[in-house]
Amino acid sequence: MGGVEDDEPASKRMKLSSEELRRLSNGSTIKEPVAGSSRDLMARPLQSEGGEEVVGSKGVIKKVEFVRIIAKALYSLGYIKSGAHLEEESGIPLHSSVVNVFMRQILEGNWDESVVTLRNIGLTDERTVKSASFLILEQKFFELLDEEKAMDALNTLRTEIAPLGVNDSRVRELSSYIVSPSYCSLTRSPKQDTVRARSRSKLLEELQKLLPATVMVPEGRLEHLVEQALVLQRDACMFHNSLDKEMSLYSDHQCGRDQIPSQALQVYETGVSLKHKLSGHQKPLSSVSWSPDDRQLLTCGAEEVVRLWDVSSGECLHVYEKTGLGMVSCGWSPDGKWIFSGLNDKSICMWELDGKELECWKGQRTLKISDLEITGDGKQIISICRETAILLLDREAKVERFIEEDQTITSFSLSRDSRFLLINLLNQEIHLWNIEGDPKLVSKYRGHKRTRFIIRSCFGGLEQAFIASGSEDSLVYIWHRGTGELIETLPGHSGAVNCVSWNPANPHMLASASDDRTIRIWGLNNLSTKRKEPCSNGIHYCNGVY
Amino acid sequence: MGRLFVITLEGSVYSCNHCHTHLALLDDIISKSFHCRHGKAYLFDKVVNITVGEKEERMMMTGLHTVVDIFCVGCGSIVGWKYESAHEKTQKYKEGKFILERFKVLGPDGSNYLVNHDAMVSGSDADNA
Repeated sequence: MGGVEDDEPASKRMKLSSEELRRLSNGSTIKEPVAGSSRDLMARPLQSEGGEEVVGSKGVIKKVEFVRIIAKALYSLGYIKSGAHLEEESGIPLHSSVVNVFMRQILEGNWDESVVTLRNIGLTDERTVKSASFLILEQKFFELLDEEKAMDALNTLRTEIAPLGVNDSRVRELSSYIVSPSYCSLTRSPKQDTVRARSRSKLLEELQKLLPATVMVPEGRLEHLVEQALVLQRDACMFHNSLDKEMSLYSDHQCGRDQIPSQALQVYETGVSLKHKLSGHQKPLSSVSWSPDDRQLLTCGAEEVVRLWDVSSGECLHVYEKTGLGMVSCGWSPDGKWIFSGLNDKSICMWELDGKELECWKGQRTLKISDLEITGDGKQIISICRETAILLLDREAKVERFIEEDQTITSFSLSRDSRFLLINLLNQEIHLWNIEGDPKLVSKYRGHKRTRFIIRSCFGGLEQAFIASGSEDSLVYIWHRGTGELIETLPGHSGAVNCVSWNPANPHMLASASDDRTIRIWGLNNLSTKRKEPCSNGIHYCNGVY
Repeated sequence: MGRLFVITLEGSVYSCNHCHTHLALLDDIISKSFHCRHGKAYLFDKVVNITVGEKEERMMMTGLHTVVDIFCVGCGSIVGWKYESAHEKTQKYKEGKFILERFKVLGPDGSNYLVNHDAMVSGSDADNA
């Protein structure tokens, strides 16, 4: 007989299967079929395909499992009476009676009986039985040693533990404890002179992890499932950009668009908010790089020299150059001690701040138009080395890795944790690569426009969950990093937007620079939100502004 | 203006005669026997630093083709066209290839090309395989 239909008249339900007849004759009561009354508050038990009762609208939660993990959670929370009451009222025990006996025997130290009971639980995997027996007998061994019954302990080791045939190296270790009880392993208390056995409840925990979950419900199972759901909700939330939003169990988490910067809060025309005018370069700037402490600035003239400036005074502190060659890019080591620069003979050089050249990597390392980045650990130098390839050079290990693309690479950006690289391509695509180990392509982002200029993109937002980019159609583009979906395009500029920079300290602030000769600061579209002062150090790159 | 993205070529380079932006390599020439309104034109396998215009159907000396005009990224001047598709089977070899008008580019030796106004050039295209 199949499942009971809800809309069948009551008389039909009295047709019993042979199984149910057998149970009746055994004296067990048949459960009353639940009436479809609107006043009925109990979860209506449905039948799954396997014949077990399920709860929930999708029919995938088995009722017995559900009740057991709730009972386990109640006990973990300390509500012993509630847990016991639940077991009784539902008729679903948390543990079978055999397991209950087993657990009591462990806690009372009835080792030999517990090993026998273990076999009665009905585990199918012989290795699990042996491993569990090993743990129990190991505990017995240590407790005997503590009671200074060395001969009994030795006996246990020889006749009970060793024959199990598991973990021979541990068996040898145990025998050394008999010889020198003062030998303390790192796992035991180092303060004691003698070896102390760990607590019996700790042993029970270890056994719980070893035995199958159906036999002994794992600790914290319900909490784990709820956390899993919350994490999935958070990861699926495309606009998640604020720490303030705490996750609640009462409703599914979903941020609104209002967490993404979408309104121009400030528009800077060049010359208005000028702090210093840094003069000295003869050629247009090809790149700019802030020092790690934001107090100095490196600027590189196109195929010219690199200059170091003090930000507060506007003074030029040093000029880095190499006779006969021109520099094309510049960057800092993360500790602020060294300067790196790409040259127009394709090499990359490294200097101390005072101008002493420390190292030079010759060969096809960089191109005339290439970014230069150093990873957070100071070890990897990243630059475009060929039209369609990026070089990841480990300067200490002298190891080279490459990212190979199908299209010409125009620029790239390194994530804050130095694990990912965002690459802009000639064909208007942005590719996200994981650069740990062998580089792997992770995502692609599309939609923005690029035909003539170097357009820059960046990571940003809470935990860098978003990708932002400039575009030749005057819009700022924002994608959700995980899903690749375009979530915002910000109008406002009247010329190509060449680069963007997301404030690393404030996930709600984004800056963009455009051919319309303005810099726009974008923030949340909510006037009641507290406005934070724009931090000039938040703009790490600005190109296309004269 | 934003910072132009330009590829630097190595070898014998043909460049834009207005702004000297690199366009193509001598090694990538497939044929020198093409013509345009201004005289000679070369068929290239690969051309860089250009932007493309709208697709158009154009009747050429060898038949109907779908082409896009190509422009130098540096100065925006038109330098030739690209064959998107050819309607005749015998002309398929041109698909995806580029025409640079000799008049618009500087040769690898820096030489320019003077338009021969007396030449009776009837139209664009040619090089029948």
